[in-house]
Amino acid sequence: MTNKSDTKAGLYKETLIAGLWRENPVLRLVLGMCPTLAVTAAVKPALTMGLSVVFVLVCSNIVVSLMRNLLKPHLRILMFTLTIATFVTIADLFLKAYLPRMSETLGPYVPLIIVNCIIICRAEACASKNTLSVSIIDAVGMGAGFTLVLCVLASVRELLSTGKVFEMQLMPDAFVPWAAMSMPVGAFLTLGLMLGLVNLITKRTR
Amino acid sequence: MSKIRYFVQQSWLLIVSSFFFGLLIAATNYALSAKIEWNKTEKFNLLTSALLPGAKPELATQVEIDSIGGKKEKVNIYKAVTKTGGCIGWSFNATGPGFQDEIELVVAVDKNFRKIAGFNVLASNETPGFGDHIKDDYYQDQFKSVPVDVLKLVKTGDPKKIDSEIVAITGATVSSEAVVKIINNSLLQVKKQMQEKGLISNDK
Repeated sequence: MTNKSDTKAGLYKETLIAGLWRENPVLRLVLGMCPTLAVTAAVKPALTMGLSVVFVLVCSNIVVSLMRNLLKPHLRILMFTLTIATFVTIADLFLKAYLPRMSETLGPYVPLIIVNCIIICRAEACASKNTLSVSIIDAVGMGAGFTLVLCVLASVRELLSTGKVFEMQLMPDAFVPWAAMSMPVGAFLTLGLMLGLVNLITKRTR
Repeated sequence: MSKIRYFVQQSWLLIVSSFFFGLLIAATNYALSAKIEWNKTEKFNLLTSALLPGAKPELATQVEIDSIGGKKEKVNIYKAVTKTGGCIGWSFNATGPGFQDEIELVVAVDKNFRKIAGFNVLASNETPGFGDHIKDDYYQDQFKSVPVDVLKLVKTGDPKKIDSEIVAITGATVSSEAVVKIINNSLLQVKKQMQEKGLISNDK
């Protein structure tokens, strides 16, 4: 009995950590590049996007896992898209109602979560083949990994483009802001350097 | 008969889920639509108050104008009323195509509809760093106190000079032009209809 519960706890831990590092959706799987590049000019929108993705990911993984035995192979992608679109619409309406300014800042990128590869990838690779508990943990791990990377990327960009992080002044007054960091070029540069750094760490720790 | 049976066997989950998810979205929309509408009105009021300080907008009338796309469009006209009850101007929504998406503006004019009090952006998805400069003061200030007439976009000039020539934002000519076009399209049509309704005096 103890052995069985230990195996289960090990599986849960492994699933959770996979999303944070080993199979991180942005740094390892290179998925969800559109919001990663587009909404990381500042930490607040990046965090909102990350949390919206966590909500959609958890909800869609729950639904897909519950109906995994009823799914017809040729209709499964259609079912995944339908499920994801429903929860994205709910998240979009919620942001419009309770965070209208943030909803405006994020613009079309919230509805675009529907076509975010991370969510459909987790539905296909995990939720459609695993139990409810594993699917939820996978969604939380992947969502947290995505949110974390978005926030780190946004912190670097916000700091260098405005001298602030989370709208708090961190750089001295003499600091000259790098306007380019808030533009697409800043997103590509920072993401490229982050990917390079992660590859270097992985190589060294192997 | 067997074909129908096969169809139901294959797609019952999709049909049931579509119905259930549709219901879920409808329920969420029903619960949040009032709050979303309230947010929009609140933003409109806030922007109008910023353009016409000390006033609160009150719905005065509705007019129908030709949109830039050629369709008929209904526009609500708000009277900017001070605490003492005096009218200091009018405000209304003006929409039209921008560089990437539709631009929705709040346009305010003085009480006689002779001068533009200013404009502000209610909703837009213009390119960050370029087109979204239409939200900045240095572009918006060019419209303040300009006589109500056809505005013209120029690429070079003095933005501080108050006249019907609006200097475009560097690197965002399309967005600058879109704003001028939207204001031009609605301003004179709204003015004409308000004159017809007797809400403002006729200039002639």
